[in-house]
Amino acid sequence: MRIMKAVLGATVALAMLGAMPAGAKELRVGLANEPTAIDPHYHNLTPNNALTASIFDTLILQDDRQRLLPGLATSWKALDSTTWEFKLRQGVKWHDGKAFTADDVLFSFERAPDVPNSPSGFATFTKGKTLSKVDDFTIQVKTEKPHPLTPNDISQVKIISKAAATGASTADFNSGKAAIGTGPFKFVEWVPSDRLVLERNEDYWGEKSEWSRVVIKPIKNGAARVAALLAGDVDFIDKVPTPDIARLKNDPKLSVSQGPSNRVIYLHLDQFRDDSPFVRAKDGGPIKNPLKDVRVRRAISKAINRDAIVERVMEDVAIAAGQLLPDGFFGVSDKLKPEAYDPEGAKALLTEAGVPDGFKLTIHGPNDRYINDAKIAEAIAQMLTRVGIDTAVETMPKSVYFKRASRGGPDGSPEFSLVLVGWGAGTGEASSPLKSLIHTYDKSRGMGASNRGRHSDAKIDALIEEALATVDDAKREALLQDATEQAIGNLAIIPLHYQVSTWAARKGLSYAPRTDERTLYSEVYSN
Amino acid sequence: MTALADHGADHGAEQGVGQADSPLRRFLADFFESRVATVAFAALLGIVFIALFAPWISPTNPYDLATVDILDNRLPPGSEGFTGMTFWLGTDGAGRDILSAIFYGLRTSLSVGVMSGLIAMVMGSSIGLVAAYFGGRTDTLIMRIVDVQLSFPAILVALVLLALLGKGVDKIIVALVAVQWAYYARTVRASALVERRKEYVEAATCLALDHRRILFRHVLPNCLPPLIVVVTVQTAHAISLEATLSFLGIGLPVTEPSLGLLIANGFEYMLSQKYWISIFPGVALLITIVTINLVGDQLRDVLNPRLQR
Repeated sequence: MRIMKAVLGATVALAMLGAMPAGAKELRVGLANEPTAIDPHYHNLTPNNALTASIFDTLILQDDRQRLLPGLATSWKALDSTTWEFKLRQGVKWHDGKAFTADDVLFSFERAPDVPNSPSGFATFTKGKTLSKVDDFTIQVKTEKPHPLTPNDISQVKIISKAAATGASTADFNSGKAAIGTGPFKFVEWVPSDRLVLERNEDYWGEKSEWSRVVIKPIKNGAARVAALLAGDVDFIDKVPTPDIARLKNDPKLSVSQGPSNRVIYLHLDQFRDDSPFVRAKDGGPIKNPLKDVRVRRAISKAINRDAIVERVMEDVAIAAGQLLPDGFFGVSDKLKPEAYDPEGAKALLTEAGVPDGFKLTIHGPNDRYINDAKIAEAIAQMLTRVGIDTAVETMPKSVYFKRASRGGPDGSPEFSLVLVGWGAGTGEASSPLKSLIHTYDKSRGMGASNRGRHSDAKIDALIEEALATVDDAKREALLQDATEQAIGNLAIIPLHYQVSTWAARKGLSYAPRTDERTLYSEVYSN
Repeated sequence: MTALADHGADHGAEQGVGQADSPLRRFLADFFESRVATVAFAALLGIVFIALFAPWISPTNPYDLATVDILDNRLPPGSEGFTGMTFWLGTDGAGRDILSAIFYGLRTSLSVGVMSGLIAMVMGSSIGLVAAYFGGRTDTLIMRIVDVQLSFPAILVALVLLALLGKGVDKIIVALVAVQWAYYARTVRASALVERRKEYVEAATCLALDHRRILFRHVLPNCLPPLIVVVTVQTAHAISLEATLSFLGIGLPVTEPSLGLLIANGFEYMLSQKYWISIFPGVALLITIVTINLVGDQLRDVLNPRLQR
């Protein structure tokens, strides 16, 4: 009898041991940028959008190159030039077991543009669209004007549960109370700056993740993140610092994945003030803003050695840029190449523009937002100083920088004269940077929202607006290319390079790089 | 016999007079009695020399953006750059010669340390003297302010001040003075309290000399020994605090790195075996602070009457 009991006990124990590893697999992640909230409508920011994509779905998903895929909508079509119909997926369950219907979609689009205290919201995607319910699994979207990018806009808004989130605040999402989605992972807990825990959604409508649990550790410092991976404290990290990439690639215990991003790093130049605050004559006195002269802007572009920045600062982990988006995206012109390094040509242009001896300039940039941002600003300062434009560098944390760069001046105007910034095309095509960076600043219409140089050209504006309302793809692409070519021809901005994103994992894990820089835990596979 | 005795007495008298007449010489003899202190003092002189003459002895000017070339960046020690010049300690991530950057960095670090130390000393010791001399409410008020100031960690106070003031050498000095004056005030008050009760102060008061004269001509000189020790210790402290602030990226502009910023810049290259960007400036900072502290220690031993052998 005693023996029987012991055998039985051992069998049960064995069975339990056997069962544990099969179902329970944990992925530990070292994440560079912690999101600012779990509320998917609070802050339109890459780290937030990336994380909430694991908990919440959108009607339309984007693949690794940002092409549109069916999500909570199985199909969509334009009924006429201003009406779109979306068929919703049936049988989808919320994390709390309730059924997903059209009411949740309508509720989400109502809440998205209107979250209290949102630092940057989602109104840009919902503006001008009216949603109506046809039946429980069909909705229609009416736009004010023909708007061919409606599906791209729709793909940016996360769908939340009406039952769980009615009246919920951002804090309710952060605590988990309202964080009920339909995505591949359920939210478990978030201890800010310590850990964020997700658990597999066993009822997910799509391919289930192989990870039963994901523990995300925010590790802001690049070297510390790499050290955590090397020490085996985490299995997977994003944003590998460029100095460490070569070494991690050679490490047989690790695997590295790398791919171009849709983010261009570029310079905005003050083109709206006659007396620009950070442009001074060589003797320190005032000078008529030379950045308004296209020849001076071209001289600055020619003075910048993009290949040197890519090779020496970025350690070859970047692509020299000649326009707003890298090759392969919709609306990219094949006529534009990166401006060649030509310091003599730059000096000649400065002479032609009446500033042969150059002037004094300050470049402002963030020091914790883009890959090697402060070092890029310093390299550019070297290069401009060499053609006679004495350039000082001022870098600051992003929390201070973006506010000042966008509206730190008098009357909410941009404060700086030369700013280093980046732009990732969320919609995955050229209208996104054209609309936000190149179009004349017009707050009421949401145009030129991030146009910190205030470049303004009626001809380019007309092209962009026409493109945004052209339904025919080929025609729209031609318009976008034309607008891009004219904008770069005018040096509305000076593109520097496109970022390349790098992830690293312990051997045996793989992750396909995404152009939107997002880390999606359901797409981390073990092989 | 008498002649001999006279001679001996004369000799002794001469020696005695010599010693009594030259406290400085005795002080120097005591100071250089320790070999460690002698070496430290020599090293400190060397560092001060480098800091003073950095623009003339540096191979390049690391703050001149027109001569620093990004194409020369991250070269290991001893390699040759594009222009054919040799970088003996290698180059950093922006292409600066590390050796020149250390020379200029020492200049920045030392001048910030000494400047803030001197200003804090003048401010702090005046306040301390006033507190000790007048006593009563003045003393209580000043010393409570000092207590409050000392109860905050120095780095926290400096961080808050710099966040409010912004970047720049002058602002760093302001922050460091704000952090340090309380130490001087406390030290000077303590020794001034002792001196105040001595007869010579009473005598001076009876002569109806004014307060300022008594404080600065009579009391202060007698408080000097501890003050000198605190100056050296606090200068070393100020230098390391400045390095810490620069390391955190809130000190000086990126194009004019001090030692702390050089170390911070090299920190991210440590895992990729480019050790020289961090290590050499780190060693320079270490040597500077250790020598100042060693000199300070020896000063304390020599100037402390209780340790007099």
